[in-house]
Order: sequence, then structure tokens, then C-alpha cells
Amino acid sequence: MDETSRPLRVAIADDALLLREGIAKVLEGGGLEVVASVGTGEELVEVVRAGGVDAAVLDIRMPPSYRDEGIVALESLRASGSTIGVLLLSMYATPEYALRVMGAGSGTGYLLKERVSEPQTLVRAVETVASGGSVVDPEVVEQLVHRTRADDPLARLTERERSVLELMAQGYSNGGIAQTLFLGLKTVETHVRSILQKLDLEESPEHHRRVLAVLTLLGAR
Amino acid sequence: MAPGRRGRIIKRTIAIAAVVALSLTMEITGFLVSPESERPEVSYATLHAMVPLVFAACAGVAWAIGPSPVPARLMVLFPVVWIPLPFLRVIEDLGWLWPLLYGVHLWWGLLTGILVLLYPRGDFGDRLARVLGAIALVASVSYLLGTVLLAEPPAALCDCAPNPYRIIDAPVMAGVIDLGYRFIGVVLALVISVRFLVRWIRGSVPARTVAFLMPLALLAWATTLAAQAVTYAANATAPQVLATVSLVAIASIPVSFVAGISHTRNMRARVADLMRITREGADRGLWAESLARTLRDASVRVYWWDEERGRYADASGDPIEHDPADRNGDHSLLPVASPTGMPIALIRHDRVLTDNMRLLDGVSSALRLSVDNGRLRSEIERTLEQVRQSRARIVEAGDEARRRIERDLHDGAQQHLVSLGMRLRLAANQARDRGIEPLGVELDGNIAMLNDALKELRELAHGIHPSLLSSGGLALAVPELAGRCPVPVEIDVQAEGRLPEVIESTAYFVVAEALANVAKHAQATRGWVRAHLVDHTLELVVRDNGVGGAAPEGSGMLGIADRVDAVGGELTIESPAGSGTTITVRIPLGATD
Repeated sequence: MDETSRPLRVAIADDALLLREGIAKVLEGGGLEVVASVGTGEELVEVVRAGGVDAAVLDIRMPPSYRDEGIVALESLRASGSTIGVLLLSMYATPEYALRVMGAGSGTGYLLKERVSEPQTLVRAVETVASGGSVVDPEVVEQLVHRTRADDPLARLTERERSVLELMAQGYSNGGIAQTLFLGLKTVETHVRSILQKLDLEESPEHHRRVLAVLTLLGAR
Repeated sequence: MAPGRRGRIIKRTIAIAAVVALSLTMEITGFLVSPESERPEVSYATLHAMVPLVFAACAGVAWAIGPSPVPARLMVLFPVVWIPLPFLRVIEDLGWLWPLLYGVHLWWGLLTGILVLLYPRGDFGDRLARVLGAIALVASVSYLLGTVLLAEPPAALCDCAPNPYRIIDAPVMAGVIDLGYRFIGVVLALVISVRFLVRWIRGSVPARTVAFLMPLALLAWATTLAAQAVTYAANATAPQVLATVSLVAIASIPVSFVAGISHTRNMRARVADLMRITREGADRGLWAESLARTLRDASVRVYWWDEERGRYADASGDPIEHDPADRNGDHSLLPVASPTGMPIALIRHDRVLTDNMRLLDGVSSALRLSVDNGRLRSEIERTLEQVRQSRARIVEAGDEARRRIERDLHDGAQQHLVSLGMRLRLAANQARDRGIEPLGVELDGNIAMLNDALKELRELAHGIHPSLLSSGGLALAVPELAGRCPVPVEIDVQAEGRLPEVIESTAYFVVAEALANVAKHAQATRGWVRAHLVDHTLELVVRDNGVGGAAPEGSGMLGIADRVDAVGGELTIESPAGSGTTITVRIPLGATD
């Protein structure tokens, strides 16, 4: 079967029917195939285990306790060995959640719910996590970068390096960063190396590890 | 000292000085004008002169410490009517005066008798006492009238001028009145003495030891009075010894009186001690003991009213014995009731104490006060506990309401606005597909505005109740709070597992308010938040290195202190000027379930 021609099969979990349908419409509009649409995290886990799903879009707060069922579902999927892309949606931009989501492994993302009004962002995010990449909402990154710290490591970065760092944290690859900031790939690579050096971070070949490391650094206090 | 009191003391001093002077004058002049052959021995005359002085001195004391001024007035009057018979010679030429003096020269007996009847409280205790007093008064007045109207000059005593008031010549009648009066006097004195003696003998051991002086003096007085009356009637001269004993007995009566009231006063001081015990809230077992000490009566028992069973029982709960009041007529019962008439207790005490109503009043007041105090105390404690619980419920209800509002926003308004944004995006895309670019731009602007509104709503909902607190507890919510603070804050949260919701939210709001103050007022460059679980207590410390001087009553902190209080915790603020601010909160986890 032709890998490129087959549309991504996506499962959606959200307790609000209205949003579920809206998300499905947006994803289908972006050329993805919505194979399941359920109201709880547990149902989603079953759907994924049944097979035939490439990526899942989950609300974080769902029944029964309306706390962090989405993340729990993600963690249970990863624990059972599933590596499908998982994108979590939340009403709040909470760095602590973003860190937990990233910590679950590669192919995960965390976006504000209101991004559904930006179909491209949502569709690209699903595609990114499905291909093992990481996505973090820019607002979360903004919060983290603006967090005050006793010994601010970001003070050592240049203005340009900061911009690059923010995109790194959002899950952009070096190529993506080059495209977004209109820079050459080599330049971006130089910036990234410099940033990692200044922040005492290890260069990781694995993309999501880089995101996690950056987020952890930003979130650490 | 109040001017009225000072005036009273001056008046009393003058009165005492005046009667002493008068009495000494009568004694000395009488002694001097007597012919040598008739003069009594100097020692006897001195003793005779001492008696009114003792009365005058005791009057001073009785005025100072007695519950009533009447006994003191009687004592101060005593020297005036203690007329030495030789004094008649001094005034033998004053025909208008000597019959009057002769008419009252035995009235000291009246005063002494009434004094004894008034013992110890300063009023006639019962009907018998009033009757005896009335008889003595009527007899004395009759004697005065009889003497003034009938008496011839007593030849044995003086060469007196004729009695100008004399209306008829009736020597037999005068003699009868004279003897009759003395007879009545002796009888009254004996009755009073015997009555007193009987009361004394029936008294309990402690009561008797205290008041032994008075009956002894009375007995001596009554016997000598009787003996004297007999010798007088027989027209014989009383033996010197008898006269001397009589004088000593008379002089010891006011002394006994003063000693008695001073003892009562002492009792009242002990009641005051009892009041002190009352104020400190003695328990029931100690009450009987304290009462026994106060009343000097080891037989005191206290029976408490048992409301449930409707009976009296002692402190250990044993019901009252069948007839506790009176097995041999030795004991009386004193019921103590609250002002509303509810029975409180029953005090069984020596019957003799009944004579000392003031003391018993004091004791029952103390008991009533103690019980009332205890009742008020427990009522206040109960009310306070109710208030505490209701306040905790209010706080919990407030928290619950905040959670519900946030959830309603999350599931309602926020979801609707998000899906509205999605529809607007679809509409914008369709507009562009149909080539209506301006509409697409218009809709893009609307989406941006909608997203701004969503962002505000998000902040609002977060402020009402942080969803992170519900899902992640303090370990996640406190770092998130600190991240929002413009001042760098070091975090140290070590609270494994989740705490009760109301404690988590209380701690969260404490940190939020404290950090808001750090950001707004402290001018700090650094803050610290520490949350540890120590011995089942959440210990929360928020500290900064700012200017200090934070007022604990600042409205924000006050609200926080109230919240902490409501969950049974305590909040302290240390904020010395220039040395930063430290807010410490301790909340016991067991305070709420």
C-alpha cells in the first residue's frame, strides 16, 4: 500500500459533542480520516488498542472526574506500547501539563483548544505527532519563557537565540525553524548548538527529547 | 477615703471621747465627794470605772467592722447610763436631775440585754428575742417613770434635795417597783442566757469553739446579777468578790460581741476565697471540700441537681440519702437555684450556720456563680464549636461553588466560544472559496477578537479556581503560581499525595495572596515558598527579602487569616521593617474530614 497516499486515520475523544464534530470537520477538511469519535479517555484507549488508528486527538478534561483523563489515557497508551501520535487539547495553557505530556514519550503534542479555529495548525499538529514529532502550544512556551527565575539561564541568550529557542520548545525541527524565521538551515543549526551549549543541554538526536529538555529547563525552578 | 465616711468616723470618735469623759467625770467626782468611810476600795472603783471604757472601746471596733451600727450605738450609750451611785452626792442639790439619773442608773442592764439579743447580726433574730427586748424596754421605762414620780431621796446614798416630780407619797409602791424591776431584770437575763446557752450547746463543735466567750460572759453576768438582786432584796451588802466578778462579766460582754462579729467577718473573707475558687472554675468534687473549709463545718455535703434524673446526687453521682436534712436535728439544707429558678444544688450544713444567713447567702451566691459560669462557659464553647463548624462549611461551600463555576465556564461558555471560533473559520474559508476576500478578512478579525475574549475568560476561570489544583494538587499548582509572580521565587513543596480539597485550596490561596503581596508591596528581589507535611500538619512558609513592615490587618491578609482559621489552622506574619516578610501557616490535616 502506498504510504503517502493513504490518509492518516484519527480518533477523537472529547466529552463535548459539538467540539468533537467540529474537530472532525476540521481534520477531514485537512485531508485526514476520522475513524472514531468518543466521549471518554477509556473508550479512546479501547479504540486505539483495537487497531487501525494512526493518531488521537484528546481533550484533557473528560469524565468521570474532569481532571486529567486525557493525559492518563496517553500514559496508559504509552505504557501498553502504543506509539501512535497523541495530541492533547486543553482550555488552559498549563506548562505543567505540557511537561507531563512531553514526558510520556515521542509523538505527543499539547495545544490550546481554541487552535481548532486555525485548521492548518491543528492538522499540521496531528501530522507532526503522527510522524513522531512534538508539538507544544506557543502560549505555553511564552509562559515558560517569561517565567521569572532566580538564576535566569535565558539571560545568556541573544535575542535571535531566544526566538529560535521558543520555536524549539514548540516542537519545530531545525528545518521548520529556518522556514519560520527566514534563516538558512546552517544558521539555525549554529544557533541551536550555541543555545544548547549555553543552557548546558545535551544535543539529542531524538527530536522530542530536545523539546522535553528545553521545556524542562524552562519549567525547572 | 470618701468624705462621708471620714465625717462619720470623726463623729463617732467625738461621741466615744464624750461618753468616756462623762463617765470618768462621774466616777472620779463621785469617788472624791464620798465621805472616806463610804468610799469603795480604790481597786474596785477603778474596775467599776473600767467597764464603760471597755464598752466605749468596743463600740469603736463594732462600728468599724460590724454589719450593723446598732450594737455600736448601744455600746456607746452604755457609759452614759453606767452611773456610779456615789455620783448622786455630787448632784444632790440638783433636785431636778438626780431622780432622772436614779431612774436610769440600772438601764445599763437593758442595754446589755438588748446587745446580747442582737448578737451577732445586729438585729433581733426571732420573735422571742423581740418579745424579750420589748419586755425589757417596757420594764425599764416603767421603772424610770416610777422612780421619777414616786422616789424619795435615797438617804443611804446622798442628802439629796426633795424630788420635785414626786406626785404622791407611796414608799411601798416605790419599793415594789424597785424590787419588781430588779426581779424582771434578773429573769430576763437568765432567760437570755439560757436561750443562748442552749443554742450554743446544740451547735456543732466548730461553731461552739468560736463563740464560747459570749455564753460564758452571759452566764457569769446573769448569775452575779441574780446574786446581787437577792442580796439587795435582803438588804444585805453583797460580798466584794461577787461584785468584782459581776463587773468583769459585764465588761466581757461587748468584748465577746466584737470577737463574734470579727469571726463572722473572717467567715466572709473565706467566702471571698470561695468566690475566687468559683471564678477559677473548681470541679464538683472540690466544692464540698472548699465549703467545709469555708464554713468550718466538716459535716458539709453538697448534692448536685441531676437534670436528667430529676434528683439530687453528690459529686460522685450517688443519689441523696433518704433524709439528709435531719437525723438528729443537727443539719439544715440550703437549696441553691439559678436566677431562673432551676435547681442547682443542695448544701447540707450544720444547723447553727442557719444563724449566719449572710455567710450562707455568700456561699450560695458563690455556688450559683460557679455553676452559671460553668454553664456559660460550656454554652460559649458549644456555640463557638458550632460557629467553627459552620464557618468551615461556608468555606467548603465557597470552594465548591468556585469549582462549579469554573467547570460551568469550562464546559459551557468556553466550549461554545471555541466551537464558534471554529464555525467562523469555516465561514471565512467558504467566503474565500467564493472569492469574497473582504468578508474573509472581516471574519479573520472576528476570530482574533474571539480568541482574545477566550484568553480573558481563561484567566478569569483560572482565577476562580485553578483546574491544575484539582488535578495536580499543591505540587503542581504552587510552582505554576510562582511562575506567574514577577519576582523570582524558589519552590520547595514536599507534600506526597493529595491533601483534603479544602486544605489544598486554602494553602493555594495563601500562597497566591502572599505572592501577590510580594509582587505588589514588598519590593523584593527574591521569594521563597516552602510547603512541608510535618506530623500530619501542613506547614507553609512564604518569605521574601523585601522591605518588610507588612500590616497583618491588610485586607488581603485578613481574608487569608480568616480562611486559615476556618480550617483550624493558624497564620503568623513576621514583617520587621527592612527585613523582609515571613508568613507562616500551619494547618492540621485532621481538622477537616
